[in-house]
Amino acid sequence: MTQIRALLARIAGIFTRQQVEADLAEELQSHLEMATAENIRRGMNPDEARRQAMLESGGLMVAAEAVREQRGLPWIESIAADIKYAIRALRHSPAFTTVVVLTLSLGIGANTAIFSVVRGVLLKPLPHRDGDRLMYLRQSADGPGGENIGFSVPEILDFRNGAPALAGIAEFSPWTVAIRGDADAVRLDVGLVTGNYFEVMGLTPVLGRLTRPSDDGPGVPAVMVLTHDYWIKRFGGDSSVIGRQVRLDEKSATVIGVLQPAPFFPGHVDALLNMVISEHHTSALMVQGRTHRMTEMVARLRPGATVAQARAEVAAVSARVHSEFKDAYDPGSHYRVTVIPFREVLGERARLTLWLLMGAAAFVLLISAANVANLTLMRGVRREHELVVRAAIGAGAARLRRLLLAENLVLTLAGAAVGVVIAIGGVTLLTSLAARYSPRAGEIRLDGMVLGFTLALSVILALVLSFLASVPKEGTFASWISAGGRRMSGSLRKQKLQRGLVVAQIAVSVVLLAGAGLLTRTMIRLSSVDTGLKTEEVLSMEVGILSPTQLLAGGDADAKERYDRMRREARALPGVIEVGVGSTMPLRNSQVQLEIKAEGKSLAVGEAMPRAEFRTADPDYFRAAGIPLLKGREFSATDRDSAGRVVIINQVLAAKLFPGEDAVGQRLAWTGDVLRFTPFSGDWRTVIGVVGNTQDGGLDAAPQPVAFMPFAQELAIGGGLVIRVDSNASALVTPATRIVRAVAPTALIENVMTVAQIKDQSVSPRRLNAALVSSFGILAVIIAAVGIAGVLGFSVTSRTTEIGIRMSLGADSRQVQQMILKEGGVLVVIGLMLGVAGAFFAGHLMRGLLFGVAPHDPLTLIGVALMITVVGIGACWIPALRAARIDPAITMRSA
Amino acid sequence: MAEKLDVKQGTLALMILKTLQVLGPLHGYGVARRIEEISSNRLSLNYGTLYPALVKLEQEGFVTAAWRQSENNRRAKYYALTAAGRKRLAREARDWHRTADLIAAFLAPGLEVK
Repeated sequence: MTQIRALLARIAGIFTRQQVEADLAEELQSHLEMATAENIRRGMNPDEARRQAMLESGGLMVAAEAVREQRGLPWIESIAADIKYAIRALRHSPAFTTVVVLTLSLGIGANTAIFSVVRGVLLKPLPHRDGDRLMYLRQSADGPGGENIGFSVPEILDFRNGAPALAGIAEFSPWTVAIRGDADAVRLDVGLVTGNYFEVMGLTPVLGRLTRPSDDGPGVPAVMVLTHDYWIKRFGGDSSVIGRQVRLDEKSATVIGVLQPAPFFPGHVDALLNMVISEHHTSALMVQGRTHRMTEMVARLRPGATVAQARAEVAAVSARVHSEFKDAYDPGSHYRVTVIPFREVLGERARLTLWLLMGAAAFVLLISAANVANLTLMRGVRREHELVVRAAIGAGAARLRRLLLAENLVLTLAGAAVGVVIAIGGVTLLTSLAARYSPRAGEIRLDGMVLGFTLALSVILALVLSFLASVPKEGTFASWISAGGRRMSGSLRKQKLQRGLVVAQIAVSVVLLAGAGLLTRTMIRLSSVDTGLKTEEVLSMEVGILSPTQLLAGGDADAKERYDRMRREARALPGVIEVGVGSTMPLRNSQVQLEIKAEGKSLAVGEAMPRAEFRTADPDYFRAAGIPLLKGREFSATDRDSAGRVVIINQVLAAKLFPGEDAVGQRLAWTGDVLRFTPFSGDWRTVIGVVGNTQDGGLDAAPQPVAFMPFAQELAIGGGLVIRVDSNASALVTPATRIVRAVAPTALIENVMTVAQIKDQSVSPRRLNAALVSSFGILAVIIAAVGIAGVLGFSVTSRTTEIGIRMSLGADSRQVQQMILKEGGVLVVIGLMLGVAGAFFAGHLMRGLLFGVAPHDPLTLIGVALMITVVGIGACWIPALRAARIDPAITMRSA
Repeated sequence: MAEKLDVKQGTLALMILKTLQVLGPLHGYGVARRIEEISSNRLSLNYGTLYPALVKLEQEGFVTAAWRQSENNRRAKYYALTAAGRKRLAREARDWHRTADLIAAFLAPGLEVK
């Protein structure tokens, strides 16, 4: 109690300082006067009386200081004074201050920006209630399209019954619907969910209600929950949207609520509906078909259960089911189910890139800190004289240390302030990058946590920098002073430290440059990948005329007729050479992947059932897209619905099904249990042609097996126009869109893109990666060059006398120059060797981001080594020249 | 002249409180004189020790301070005991007596080893 009271009084003392000072002065004065008066009374003369009084009382100043210490909180006040002093001192060396603050701000800014992304995308707790207990289940199989094949309803039931560690299992089936107006149509990406979905996910509405178990099953009204983003984007956040009827394809649903902002996986979602909106989802096919996998599964861990428990239970269920239903799980395809925390699966694609960038930024900070450390060390040496004087007049080692700390704090905090400004710009850029990789990009903020990180970084930096410089120790003043207060050019230890820092800078620069080189080469390799198309002047547009339900209900013939009309009209546009129609646009993937078999061939034991993409194409498609025909013939007008079944396959599929044989004339058929759920037949089809492979999954993906059916022989489930022109395909966007609108006013028109644009989609994220890491690398090299030049320059300055002596003893300027160059060269070489070793390691870590280059690509490493050597020699040259110009006569005289 | 003693840590506050109890409200100079007199000038007390101690007692609430006219018409800061101060004085005086008795007994000639 007493202590608290005293502390409060002392804190108050800081603020009432001026008045208290006056008070104290008056009190001490009155004391002195009373003592003097007393002495006079005893018979002293006034002067003597006053002198005695002062002597007895021990000095006014000392007393005042002692009272001040008791009054306020002296350490806070002296820190404030230190900081004031530090600012004044730094203002006296503006060049030093500017260089240090800029260097630090770049390092701190880069780290702040990237940390805010890392935090938003990877680290921040999910907005879901107890988000860490939320699990995502993924079923995978070998082969194309097998990474995430989803679950069927019976499979989900297996886990509901057999995995008690999962308290709730909810279903989420990605689906698309179209809102068709009179003159346009918009596609909506929706999720069809079970009633327990929101409970399991731990999400709450911001408006209205969410779906619940009573919304499950057939025969209930269709209801719709809007995601927060869609609600803002489409309805401007209007709360009267609740209760509204929305027409979706041929059905309508009632909006019942708006969901809190939350990330979705695997894809973007506009709204969530109950299953009843899709007849298919409530049909027996879907509910009972074990291989009819089109549902995502999320689950919540039962309280007390661990992820390991859940994994064990899931594995046990899978093993049991695989042996029970052998037909549904081809052993060669290795069906497997993994349990992944939801937060991890959300960050899955971003993780490697983000840690790469974070590592690069940390390296930049490391180099800039090393540079600042060197600058401070050098400045520390120049200030030894000042520090010794301070020590001599009574400043203790701790006090001097604190003075240095105050200066470094001012520097790092100023750097942080500028860095945050840089980060604000950087975050905008990085958010657009992150949006390609993560559904959580919207959560990236420069929030308190990030700023706290920045602040902590600055304070730690300041602490480290302060303890690098040496401070005169108590008891060693004598030796310091007897050295005449002259510059002592740094102890051996300090020189070693400086050199070590330069070596580290070079090594880190090498690592960063090597990383940048690898990413740049990846990007160049990628953009020079042959798409497999013979031309780039191609415009493709996806046109969805009818929904699958409408097609099955007899709209197919009408749709085909409209596609044909569009084709003919587009063909008549000026500049158009060829127009084709097909289900899937060139360089894009079809969602339909099925098992396929060749007549008269049997699989080896344990071999996975081959799978291929199902696509359709009309006779002009291949020529329009520029896909080369390698063997046989293209489709012709005679391959109609009534004619014999034919198929054209790509090279990958031909090699897979008919290795070493001529594929043309052979027969193949779609197969597998899942065919029952599709409108496609398992009839034998004759291969009439083989076409070249195309880079459909992106430029870095291996081409997948594809089979094309004649457009006329299959249901027009997907459709689009491929238009080849003589030049400038993008000029055709407007006229082509107009034609499609006229022929099919309510069609969805999507992904209107030229081949060049599609290509760029795979290259541009890499380009940004490469650009970021390259700019970090270049920054690092510049900072390192400044570092080498600075340290050598300092070495020259402190060795002026020595060099003077050498020269007067007969060394010529060339020898001196070589001596300094050698001094720097050794550092560069050591740094280079360490850096190359580091680059091997870093390249290995980032190999997932590379394409077409080895992690230890010798060309990149040699290039980096050359660049560092050139920059290193350049940086050594300046101080070496200065050393060579030293005039022995002048230095010897001033020594 | 007797050897001057430094004020022992912790005892100065007790002396100040006792002085204020005996003489009533008093300025710093008066307190210093009184302590020196009582100790027959064996204690030397300078500003640097006395005033911080007074400030500390004030902060802890054992004394209050106020400006007043002194007996010879000089403005001076007068310190006065508070109730808490009186309590502390009583307690510390008691503790001090006990300690002093103990030390005295301890240092009694009969107990001397060797």
